[in-house]
Amino acid sequence: MRADPPLLEARDISVAFGSFRAVDGASLTIGKGEIIGLIGPNGAGKSTFFNCLAGDRQPASGSIRLRGHDVTRASPEDHARLGLARSWQVPAVFDDMSVRDNVVVGAFLRHKRASDAAAVADRVIAFTGLAPIAQSRSGSLGTPARKRLEIARALATEPEILLLDEALAGLTPTEVRAAIELVRRIHAQGITLVIVEHVMEVILSLADRAVVFNQGRVIAEGKPRDVVQDPGVIEAYLGRSLSRKARA
Amino acid sequence: MILGQVVLNGFLVGAVYALFSSGLTLIWGMMNVVNFAHGDFVMIAMYVAFVVFTALHLGPAVFVPLAAVLLFLLGVLVYFSLVRHVMRGPMLAQILGTFGLALVLRYATLWVFSANFVSLPDNLLGPVVTVAGLRLEPSRVVAGLAALTLTIGLHLLLTRTALGSRLLAVAEDRNAAMLVGIRPDPMQALAWGIGAACTGVAGALIALFFYISPTVGESLALIAFVVVCLGGFGSVPGALVAGLLIGVIESLSAFWIGPANKDVVVFILFLAVLWFRPQGLLGKA
Amino acid sequence: MSASITAPARSAGRLVFAAFVLLALLVWPLLVENVFYQRVGALVMLAALSASAWNLVGGYAGQISIGHVLFFGCGAYASLLGFTWFEWPPIMGAPFGIALSLLLAVLVGLPTLRLKGHYFSMATIALAELARIIVVNSPSLGGGVGISGPAIPRSMADLSFISPLPYYYIFGAVLAVLLLFTWWMGRARMGFYLRAIRGQERAARSLGVPAQRYKLYALLVSAGFTSLAGSLYAAMVGFVDPDSGLGILLSVKMVIVSALGGAGTLFGPLVGAAILVPLEEFTNAAFGGDGTGITYVVYGAIIMLISRYAPGGLAEILARLKAWGARHAR
Repeated sequence: MRADPPLLEARDISVAFGSFRAVDGASLTIGKGEIIGLIGPNGAGKSTFFNCLAGDRQPASGSIRLRGHDVTRASPEDHARLGLARSWQVPAVFDDMSVRDNVVVGAFLRHKRASDAAAVADRVIAFTGLAPIAQSRSGSLGTPARKRLEIARALATEPEILLLDEALAGLTPTEVRAAIELVRRIHAQGITLVIVEHVMEVILSLADRAVVFNQGRVIAEGKPRDVVQDPGVIEAYLGRSLSRKARA
Repeated sequence: MILGQVVLNGFLVGAVYALFSSGLTLIWGMMNVVNFAHGDFVMIAMYVAFVVFTALHLGPAVFVPLAAVLLFLLGVLVYFSLVRHVMRGPMLAQILGTFGLALVLRYATLWVFSANFVSLPDNLLGPVVTVAGLRLEPSRVVAGLAALTLTIGLHLLLTRTALGSRLLAVAEDRNAAMLVGIRPDPMQALAWGIGAACTGVAGALIALFFYISPTVGESLALIAFVVVCLGGFGSVPGALVAGLLIGVIESLSAFWIGPANKDVVVFILFLAVLWFRPQGLLGKA
Repeated sequence: MSASITAPARSAGRLVFAAFVLLALLVWPLLVENVFYQRVGALVMLAALSASAWNLVGGYAGQISIGHVLFFGCGAYASLLGFTWFEWPPIMGAPFGIALSLLLAVLVGLPTLRLKGHYFSMATIALAELARIIVVNSPSLGGGVGISGPAIPRSMADLSFISPLPYYYIFGAVLAVLLLFTWWMGRARMGFYLRAIRGQERAARSLGVPAQRYKLYALLVSAGFTSLAGSLYAAMVGFVDPDSGLGILLSVKMVIVSALGGAGTLFGPLVGAAILVPLEEFTNAAFGGDGTGITYVVYGAIIMLISRYAPGGLAEILARLKAWGARHAR
């Protein structure tokens, strides 16, 4: 048992679309400084659960506390103010604005003055390696740069916890390695991370703890190495090919 | 008894409102695009009826189907030449695209036909019949019943046929529909065709008893907005109930507080819906 | 895409250009003797003023009002009703017009700005049309006939001049204030937030942007300036009726002037007004009243073409030409 109150705590979350229960009584507690990997087959409810954590969707039942505040019904803005930031599965950058201006929008959350916000944005841009394209129109960027920009924009809000929704999907192996390195550096800054990811290697190499979703429920939780060898998980999701890979 | 007459007339005109609003709700529900030229589509159909009758001396048996076909083609044309390109664009393009179209249709008609109000003869379908104290004007009765039948028919088409389920599949989830082999483009074009054909039939029917002018589409479009918001977007049964309701409310307010103010009641109702139940009276929260 | 000219040199060049344009705008009406041209100049400024006001909410925030004439009408009617009822100088009604406009902006904005953009568009057009119908049916508001200002100017405060020149400078001065505000806003948090909301509202909110509140702010400033434009217009023309004060075509003009020049750009509305207003005035002068219907067919067609091919208006076309030129210059 940890002494600190958990950073983010979701209890018994349920979301239904019509008669289909996308999330069915899922709970998760995240402590400061962790890297949590959220995995599960398509349609397992992990994205919906993720959106509840991020404040973009309100659960039908259950409760969510962020740094001790009840945020179950709070707006996405309130989540941001309380120190939660996120990226989107389909990158949602502000196309008409330059890369730098995108990041400045995030920085304005904690800095009212334009010059202060710009200074923060420039620091984040340097940190995320976006400096060479800072003046480009973000609508002209390819997917890897957009994903990196989303992370930069989220970091500019100076969050305590960062939720990444498939931030590494669709990247080449080289880009994945660069992104993993970036995530490590973000973590080294003391930021807690929740990662939804399909690429198993990412979870294995990054996460302290893996949480496996299936049919709207958490079916396993623990060290990534242990979780991927859990028979129930292999049965539900990983399948033979991956269980072989995990053994190898 | 006079109140019964007022309600009946409202009900019959409400059925026509329901029909053209169904076209709007179909398009809106399917691709999240609002056709700001919808009322002007109805206006064009009214002029089709007017021209066919005055120039060719042919009745509704000809001009109603003709208007349906012409407007269907117009809808498909508008989809391929305009809507397909603006629907994924910025909000400005989504809204101004069909709004610009509305202006073109409205003022081109004004230029051709002048601003004068015209109408078809009252007794086009025969003399008024009085049944149990109620005056039954054949034009209103035929228009109302035909519109009612077609609106129900549209609902059945969408819910009971293979074509309908393909349309609804695209409406539900474009990408999922593509995965099961439904190409969204022809389906969306078809939705525009059907939506516009609804205005074609409704316009030709309402022309039987309504004044015709180039700017009539403006108030009809607003009625369609009210009906769709009230009925819940994408719902044909919702549009039917809301259309009949608006028809009756409008008719009653014209009777109680005067014809000049009936639009005021409808507009206030619209704003009230936006304030209190934007998902519609029948929609899910 | 790195610029070859250094940033300071480019901004100095821009400053010189801006100073030159400003000087030309200030001086040209004095050099032109022709009253018709001077009048067109004043109307350009008025159109640029109302379109720049529309631009705040329609361009920067991306919330497309197609009933903005509502606010214009509030200003115009408040001015002339002040005269009709209390014999005030028309401009004294302006604050009341602005107050009413702000109230109506809240009424239409609060419920619809939390919904998808279509609802806001529909609600604005409905409220504008509702106002027009109410005025037409209210004899105390002039009904369909309209109301007039002072027939003979009683003092300078009536702002009633024979020459269009004073109006040119009055409209220009208010426009300058609005553009200064817009320029400041564009570099401040509000401008960044509005552009973010226009781009991706959900993403903006996840960055802590209180989207609904900022959209409402934009609408309030926009409504206030549009109303002031209406009051000034009423002072100039000395007459308003439901068509000239609340007609849907005025809303259309604000939209098209802004969208043609470039919605969401600082000078787009001014450029759009400088092109469209002379075009309309010369067409009307040449064809008389017959031109009006055709003007709006052409306006509708332009709006469709902009939506279909260049939602950013001339500013976007210019940027594309530049990019094309840069590609081919290599």
